Formats: sequence, C-alpha cells, structure tokens
Amino acid sequence: MRMKSFIKFFSSVKLAIVLLIVLTLASVLGTLIPQGRTVEEYAARYGQIAGFFSRIQLTHLYHSIWFLALLGFFALNIVVCTLTRLAPKFRRAFRPHVQADAKGLQALKLNGRLKKNAALSEAKSDLVGLLKAAHYRVRETAEPPRTSLLARKKIWGIFGSDFVHLGLLVIIAGGIVSGLAGFRTELAFNEGDVVQVPRAGFELRLDKFTTEFYPDGNVKDWKSAMSVLEQKRPVLSKMVEVNHPLSYKSFNFYQTSYGWNWDNPAVELWAKKTGDAAFEKKMKLRLGERAPLGDKEETIVAVARFVPDFVLGEGNEPQTRSLQPNNPAALVEGFRGSEKIFSAWIFANYPDFSKIHGTKDTDLAFELKSFEARQYSVIEAARDPGTALIWAGCVLVMAGLGLAFYWPPWEIKAVLEEAQGKTELVIGGLATKSRDAFAAEFEKIIASSRRSK
Amino acid sequence: MTESTLFTLAFILYIFSAFFYLAFLFSKKMGSARTGSILAWAGLAVHAAALIARTIESGHAPFTNMYESLSFLSWAAVLAFVIIDFKFKIPKIGPYLMLIVVGLVALASSPLMPKTATPLVPALQSYWLWLHVSVTLLGEAFFAVAFIASIRYLAAGDPAKKERMDSVSYRCVAVGFPLFTLGGLVFGMVWAYKAWGTYWSWDPKEVWSLITWFVFALYLHTRIVMGWKGKRSAIIALVGFLAALFTYFGVNYLLSGLHSYA
Repeated sequence: MRMKSFIKFFSSVKLAIVLLIVLTLASVLGTLIPQGRTVEEYAARYGQIAGFFSRIQLTHLYHSIWFLALLGFFALNIVVCTLTRLAPKFRRAFRPHVQADAKGLQALKLNGRLKKNAALSEAKSDLVGLLKAAHYRVRETAEPPRTSLLARKKIWGIFGSDFVHLGLLVIIAGGIVSGLAGFRTELAFNEGDVVQVPRAGFELRLDKFTTEFYPDGNVKDWKSAMSVLEQKRPVLSKMVEVNHPLSYKSFNFYQTSYGWNWDNPAVELWAKKTGDAAFEKKMKLRLGERAPLGDKEETIVAVARFVPDFVLGEGNEPQTRSLQPNNPAALVEGFRGSEKIFSAWIFANYPDFSKIHGTKDTDLAFELKSFEARQYSVIEAARDPGTALIWAGCVLVMAGLGLAFYWPPWEIKAVLEEAQGKTELVIGGLATKSRDAFAAEFEKIIASSRRSK
Repeated sequence: MTESTLFTLAFILYIFSAFFYLAFLFSKKMGSARTGSILAWAGLAVHAAALIARTIESGHAPFTNMYESLSFLSWAAVLAFVIIDFKFKIPKIGPYLMLIVVGLVALASSPLMPKTATPLVPALQSYWLWLHVSVTLLGEAFFAVAFIASIRYLAAGDPAKKERMDSVSYRCVAVGFPLFTLGGLVFGMVWAYKAWGTYWSWDPKEVWSLITWFVFALYLHTRIVMGWKGKRSAIIALVGFLAALFTYFGVNYLLSGLHSYA
C-alpha cells in the first residue's frame, strides 16, 4: 500500500466506526463463551466444535492474536485520525485567520449589523470592551478602511476529542507495557516465614496472620502483618489487608487468599457414655497424641487422622475433597492396653452420624467439638510498570471529555468599516456546541453594542 | 422514621407522581404535570432520607446488595430526570420515567430482593465503593433518561417535538457518558488495582461496561463526525442503555465473574 492510500484508509472515521462495532461484537462473544477454562470443560460444553473454538482462540479471546490485531488497528486508526485533523486545529487555535468579510458574516446564523455615529477607533474600542468583559480574547487586523476583529473564548475545547484519543492511546500503551513487563506471583506464608520475593532484591516476612469475624460469623477481614527485609533487616512493616496493599520499591503486595495447614491440627473431643449420663470428658489432642479417657476401663484415646473436607473416594477410602474445612472429620481410636478396641470417624457438622464400630462393644460416643490448624496467608506480589501510563491515560481521557462537552469554543467575528465619520459594524457568531447559550450571549453583546451611543 | 418507612413513603410519592404525569399525558393539562413534578421532587427528598437512614443503620454505603443498588439507581434516575426537566422543561418524559422508577422500586421491594443489611465482605471495605458505584449508577440514570427521550423521538410525529427529543437525548448522553467513564471505568480500574492487584481482568462486568462505552462512543462519533441525527442516533442510544442495563443487571444473573457482590 502506498503511503497516501494508507493514510487515507486509516484516517477514515468509517473505519473507526466499523472497528468499534467489530470490537463490541467480539467483546460480547467473549462474555458468552467462558474464558480460560480447561479443554475438558469446553469439550463437555460445546462437543465437536470445541476444537474449532480453541483453534480460532475463542477460548482466550481477549488475548487472541486477532483481538489484539483489532486493537492494534484501532490504535493506528486513532493515531492517523487524530494527527490528520490536528494540523488545521492547531492553525485555528494558534494562528487564526482574523480577517473576515462582511458578506460571509451575514451568512452566519447568528449575525448583526449596526451603524454607529462614531469614528472606527471609537466604535472598535467600544466593541472590544464589551467582548473582553464577556471574557473573549480579541485579535484584530486592519486594512483601511476596514478593520476585522476575531474574538474567541474556550478555544481549548476544540482539542477535547484529541485529549480523549491521546488518553486512549496512552492507556493502550500502558496495557502493552503491563502485558510485556508486568510480573505477578503468589507467595504463601506461614507465620514467621521469610520469603525471597522473585525478581526483587528483598525478602518479605509474615509476622502475624489473623482473620477477623463479624458477630454473625462472616469474615470481616484478613490481616497479614508483613515486614520487608533488606539484607535480613526489617526496613518497613505494614498491615496488609484486602484493599490495603503494601507498596515497596516497584512492587505491590496484596492479600489474596488464605488457607489452613492441616499437617498437625489440634482436635477438641467430647466423650460421653450412653450408659452413664454423668460421664463426660473433654479433651484436646494433637494428631497421633494418646491420652487416657479417665473411665474405669482405662481406655486410651488417640486421633489417628483428620481431614478438613471428608468424602469417600474410590473403594470407600476416606479422603479430603479440598483444603477448606467444609466437612471436618477425625478418625478416633480407642485402646485398652495394646489392644485397639474401636475406631470411628466423627464429623463436626454431623454429630449424630458418628458411629462407633470396634472389635469390642463400647458405649462410648464422641463429638468433634472444634479443631485448630495453623492458617497461612497467600500474598500476591505484583510489579506492573504499565499502571503509571494507565492513570495518565485516564486523566487525559477525563480532561478531554470535560473539554469536549463542557468547554465549548465560541467565536465572534466582526468587520468594522468607516465612511464619512460613521462606522458600520457587521458581526457574526459561530459555535458548534452549546449553541443556545451562545446565541443568548451573542444577542446580549449585540444589544449592549446598540445601546452604547 | 426508619429506612423502610421512608422508603415506602417515597414509593407512594413516586406512584402518585407517575399517576399525575399519566393524567397529564392524556389530558394535556399542565397543572397535572406540575403536580407530578412536585411529587417527584418530594419522593426524591424522602428517598434521599431513606438512603441516609440506611447508611447510618448499616454503617456502609447504601449499594452493597441488589435491593440497595436498585433503590439507589431509582433515586438516581429521578434525580437525573428532575435535573434534565429543570433545565429543558420536558414534562413528557415524566410519565415514562416515573413508571420505570415505580417498576424499579417495586422490584426492590419485592420478596426476591433480601433487604437485610449484611456486613461488608473484605473486598468491599473501601471508600472506592462510594465513588465507583454512585458515579456509575448516576451515569446510567442519565442514559435511562436518554433512552426515554429516544423512544419519545421514535414515537413522536411532529418534527419540532422530534428535534427537541433528539437534543434532550444528546444532552443526557453528554452528562451520562463522562460520568459513566469516570465512575464505571476509571474509578473501577483504580479500585480493582487496589483490591485485586490488577486494573483490568476481562471480567464479564468489566467487559460489559466497555461494551456500553463502545456503544456510546459509536453514538458520539456517528453523530458528531458523520452527522447522523434523529432515527439512527436514537436507536444507538437505545442499544447503549440496554447494554448499560445488562451490565448492571444481566451480568449478575447470567454471567459469572469477579463482580459477585450484588
């Protein structure tokens, strides 16, 4: 493609409109097809065409080559469109054409014509005074016997769309920088852990992790007291919470997740006897720890296993479905001497479901009252050099929208001509935005001009 | 008075306002429109008191679940209408808008929407909740007025009326678009960066706000650069409002994602 036709193609607003429509439809499509799932999920959902979907990258549409290419075209379109329109706008704003002709002004929708019994210089300073009082900046050029005036205000308004476009380009650039140079990784901490932050010259330590609850039991907040270590020495401490990340050097650290360390939980058991209502024993055991029950048979109790989310797997083998305490269960064993007399799974959420089955009859019943496990905190470390551009772009876009909608450029032109000690004024007004308000102001200026002498 | 009493009172005022505006639509008597307008203002004031009471009772911003955000959206829609009506004197928008508001408030009052104020989950504990949601919903409220003006444009026969509705629709977009950009996209990105560590995740709600933004960008470009006015412009404004509505409503119920709060 030759340069000229290239520019012509990319400077077309029609292309911008087509691209906006295509980007819109593609974006809609990306919300209808779930993004970034596994091959199996797509196969189950879409059957035969799942392979085709993944080949044309519909399964990660917003990062697909064709979507990024569309965005690239869009950016190019914005650049060329804006640049080709910028030169005339600059001329209009900074090197305006002051000279006007009376006929042209009278052809404008807003115009006025008046005669003054005064010399040109007097009539001129009178009108200039009125315009300046209304906050217009006035330029003039004289070519006797005529003088032309150009009065304008809020001329920066013509650059509103350019600011928006520039802002969008800066945002797109920020997105590219984020995509190429951004880095994020999750770091898991037990209390006291020191972790070297990847690609950074410092370490991070979790001093304390707490979960706060509302009275109704819902989580209020997760708090990680973190310290930054430089050469093993703490240089900064901060409480990291959701919405309150820790910033250090070019990194930010976010509270993103948490979990339990189920290796060595402490389990609280309540033992009762069906045959003896008075018997009750509360005990707290670590995994594998043995303790006497204190009954007359001198039973020894131990917790052999603990799973946070009990489920029966293949061959009815108990296992855990997740690391969340959704269905906590403990395997309790009882011994007399060296002989194991019973073992039983007991469930925190289903106390009635816990049945004792053993080699000897026993009237013992257990309840899993509570359990404690160390919680760990998951902190996301992120470095994103694109964000500065993103915020700068946002400021430009908002400034541009403000200029485009609420900073309307208004222009008043006048030609003054003197003949036999009298001056004829022809005045015209031009506004592309807020025309009604401008018309009112224009009429007011004309009326004041008529009144003065 | 408690929040629910004030809310019910506002509801009643809106119903009467809608009634008087409808009477105006059929009788063409300006007196009815004036009464409708006064009732809308009164409803707005009482509703504002209800929102303040809710904020005091719950201790957080009054838009953290569907009931609250519907209540706030309907309040914002009335606010957008009375501002536009004050400036452009367009009582004909009144009956339609007040009917929509009555519908929204009825939906908020329905048993489908749990009314209990729940404590805030950690992700929502931020002053950005105020900035992000209130500015976005206010922008969407102006899109709603643009929507009705566009419908009136398409329905009207008289060219002068059509011209007026076209201009009202544009003025509403001129207010709604910057508000929506600021609240929905800019504040949304800033908050996402603070809460999630990334300013953009292609979450369905984010994508749908972008889609809404694209549609109104299309509206502005076709209108200002290509000179499309009237019918085509009105249709794009309709589509834009429907996209905004889907962003607000549909995404929560039909698509899953990070914005799983309301």
